[in-house]
Amino acid sequence: MSAGYIDEMHEAFHSDLIYRAEDIPLECSPKPKELEHTLHGVMKLNGLVIRSLEEIAGRGANAVTYRAGKKFGHEVAQYFQKREDVEGALHELSDLLRGQYSFEVWKPEDKETFIIEENGETFIYLVFHDCIVRQTLRRNGLDQGGPLCQTLFGYVVGAVEEITGRKAKLEIVHTGPNACLKKLILK
Amino acid sequence: MEIHVDKNACVGCGLCVKDCPMHVYELQDNVSVAVRPNNCMGCLSCHEICPAQALEHRGIYAARRHYIDIKVCEMLRKVV
Ligand code: SF4
Ligand code: SF4
Repeated sequence: MSAGYIDEMHEAFHSDLIYRAEDIPLECSPKPKELEHTLHGVMKLNGLVIRSLEEIAGRGANAVTYRAGKKFGHEVAQYFQKREDVEGALHELSDLLRGQYSFEVWKPEDKETFIIEENGETFIYLVFHDCIVRQTLRRNGLDQGGPLCQTLFGYVVGAVEEITGRKAKLEIVHTGPNACLKKLILK
Repeated sequence: MEIHVDKNACVGCGLCVKDCPMHVYELQDNVSVAVRPNNCMGCLSCHEICPAQALEHRGIYAARRHYIDIKVCEMLRKVV
């Protein structure tokens, strides 16, 4: 490695900035526009981790990521106000997830209410519109519905359980390029 | 939600009928018809699968896209 190159490298990381202990950064740097490359890097990395996890752990990968997501959901939602109504809990959850995921409760036209009772099951359909997981998977050419989706599943289930105190389960009904339909089953 | 099928473009393959989870389409006289547009939840799987690009949705929420290849888009912008 030439001395010139090392000097150049040192120069790139040198600044005259004075940084004090109380200087807590209040905003991200650089500007969001300049973070596009970083975002692509993070998505690629996530895709590679998930692909390797699937190669090594096979179907067990889903269980691992689901559990991780669920734990995270419980942890984050424990600071939220507890409530029994699921619709209110979903509202809180959508605030919690804003920016990464956006979803709405949904029903087919022949159903009267959003809380549907069918074949002995009580459930709510959720349509996920914006989803960082979907974006990551498509960026990497990976199938939807695998371990990375399970993380989000676990997260939603964990948060709903924490807020409502009720056991829940989430099932994928359909995954698409623009939105995914999920079924939140209440127990 | 309004769904339009370009009757001249549709080849009657029925892929949208099979793929749509909400059974929005039916084949009538070898052309796809959106018979239950209000059941559409906007996944756009039908757009992805239609070989004739015959479908159009109006009033749909377009999810944020983060995965577009910046370099490819820059090149496309120069050409298109
Ligand atoms: S967008 Fe999805 S739900 Fe709507 S018609 Fe197409 S496949 Fe069916
Ligand atoms: S997938 Fe496209 S071409 Fe095939 S039936 Fe549907 S609209 Fe027609």
